[in-house]
Amino acid sequence: MSSFKPKNNRAWLGVLPVLLIVAFSAVIPLMTVVNYSVQDILDFNSRFFVGFEWYQQTLKDPRFVDAFLRQVVFSLTILAIEVPLGVAVAKGIPKDSRFTSLILILLALPLLIPWNVVGTIWQVFARPDIGLLGWTVNALGIPYNYTAEPLHAWLTLVAMDVWHWTSLIALLAFAGLTSIPTPFYQAAELDGASRWQVFRYVEMPRLQGVLIIGVLLRLMDSFMIYTEPFVLTGGGPGNATTMLSQHLATMAVGQFDLGPAAAFSVIYFLFILLFCWIFYTSVVRSDDE
Amino acid sequence: MARINLENLGFVYPGAESATLDGLNLTIADGEAHALLGASGAGKTTLLNILSGLLTPTSGALRFDDKDVSRQSGRLRNVAQVFQFPVLYESLSVAENLAFPLKTRKAPENLIRDRLDYICDELHIGDLRALKPAALSLFQKQLIAVGKALVRPDVSLVLLDEPLTAVEPRTKWRLRQTLRRVQADLKVTMIYVTHDQTEALTFADRVSVLTAGGILQTGTPEQVYNSPEHEFVGHFVGSPGMNFLPAKALGINDADRAGFRPEWAVLSRANSTPSTAPANSTGIGHITGKILRIRVQGAQAGKPFGLLTVATDHGEVAVRGEFPDAAVSAGDRLHMQLTRCIAYTDQRKVSDIELL
Repeated sequence: MSSFKPKNNRAWLGVLPVLLIVAFSAVIPLMTVVNYSVQDILDFNSRFFVGFEWYQQTLKDPRFVDAFLRQVVFSLTILAIEVPLGVAVAKGIPKDSRFTSLILILLALPLLIPWNVVGTIWQVFARPDIGLLGWTVNALGIPYNYTAEPLHAWLTLVAMDVWHWTSLIALLAFAGLTSIPTPFYQAAELDGASRWQVFRYVEMPRLQGVLIIGVLLRLMDSFMIYTEPFVLTGGGPGNATTMLSQHLATMAVGQFDLGPAAAFSVIYFLFILLFCWIFYTSVVRSDDE
Repeated sequence: MARINLENLGFVYPGAESATLDGLNLTIADGEAHALLGASGAGKTTLLNILSGLLTPTSGALRFDDKDVSRQSGRLRNVAQVFQFPVLYESLSVAENLAFPLKTRKAPENLIRDRLDYICDELHIGDLRALKPAALSLFQKQLIAVGKALVRPDVSLVLLDEPLTAVEPRTKWRLRQTLRRVQADLKVTMIYVTHDQTEALTFADRVSVLTAGGILQTGTPEQVYNSPEHEFVGHFVGSPGMNFLPAKALGINDADRAGFRPEWAVLSRANSTPSTAPANSTGIGHITGKILRIRVQGAQAGKPFGLLTVATDHGEVAVRGEFPDAAVSAGDRLHMQLTRCIAYTDQRKVSDIELL
């Protein structure tokens, strides 16, 4: 055995490039932020170690708590809409029609649009004076102004995210549905299963895998949403649509509070990690039973 | 359970030039185990889909107990099907899977319990009841699928679509045996679709041999093997298949060709002078040739027996039986006296000829 040892050790050299890349791309920046988060930085030459003070301050800051709650409500809302809607859309796509590929391309279009363009599109689209949506709604006698009413701003933001991302869930679910062999449907038909039972016992178990990935992606992405609300509402009216990342950007870039912003970032990062871990383990565990 | 009747049944796929099935006539008795044997492209799957209600025949009628069900859905006909690979509800336990076809029809709880006990008993799957399909072997899964097909007391027909395809070769015979036993016990009308002649001949009470031209022969496994109505049946059933020679080469004058099974010949060494008939000739049913290949399969009373491939003046034939002596080797000349053969004209049987 000992004669193999030199070879085994040398093999570690092969991992070195990856280690270096990961260190530069992830570990070092992250540790820099952790480093900032425990110091009070006044200028390049004067900095003080403050321990967990910034963390305590951040967690007690009502603006952070508000932004955090808004963020949770937003993510849960869009998940509750996009997942069922995406599955419903996927079920509506014909499996082997000559229009199938055309439908898939049309569905994929919103995913290809740069995020700030999505924000701009909806900013114009929803304007009460010249936007097609805003003008129509007002013309129907429903007063609507997303720049003035927090509720309207929220509805617009949610509608925009649903428009932008439901396609992702739909495409994933469609891939899952097409992977179900036809005998499963034939057997269910002969067993006398209703449409709901087919969905519940044939399709859902097979969709579980892709939907877990879909929900994880949407959860992480929506929790980090920045560009679209920034372009659409700028976080307003007031702070009504200020999500976590925008609050963070205001602190770090707008006010140059590097220490608190770094502490905020670390907390933010840990929350996303925590949510995904809770979701993943709970789903995987219930799957094992 | 039901008697199944195909009357002039035909099917043409939309846009197809010719009919996939044309004028099929077949009656399957109530409680019969019937095998549909055919090569790929013979229309097996199409016929299966018509029986299960997935396709509607374009001509003729399909009757269950004299009732025309051609246009009825499979679930109304009470048809159940076992597929090539196990089809189960993955999120449900074995017991829930078995109960599923009863639950969807709102069967009372005590009936469900009775049927589950009965099926678990019959298939010996009682100790699997609480498991999820993911925990089962392919063999067990397919067994559960069979149980699910049989669970309804009012099932009229069980279709088996090459149900042994996905099962490991080691356990194939066990599943086949179980199917045979369960069919005999429950007296359910079953149609077993396969391209494998061994499965068809060992499973069924009666076998139908299907080709693109239609059903060539329906009969017991013995009839299909011993007296093929059509040259294709003789050729397709049996391993190796039937030998065919020009009828005149065997001394038969009123037919095109004559066929014989490899084991329908008594083997002896031919006279050293080639192409002369042996002295004990009765006139017909004998032929000589040169041995090409020898496969010994055993020995009886000191004499080896096995399969010989022989080149005759009219083509190669395969014969199986006791060798004339232990020293037979490739290149020797062999005389074959047939015990029986079957005469064919235009590929159709004209007569069975008993020779010895």
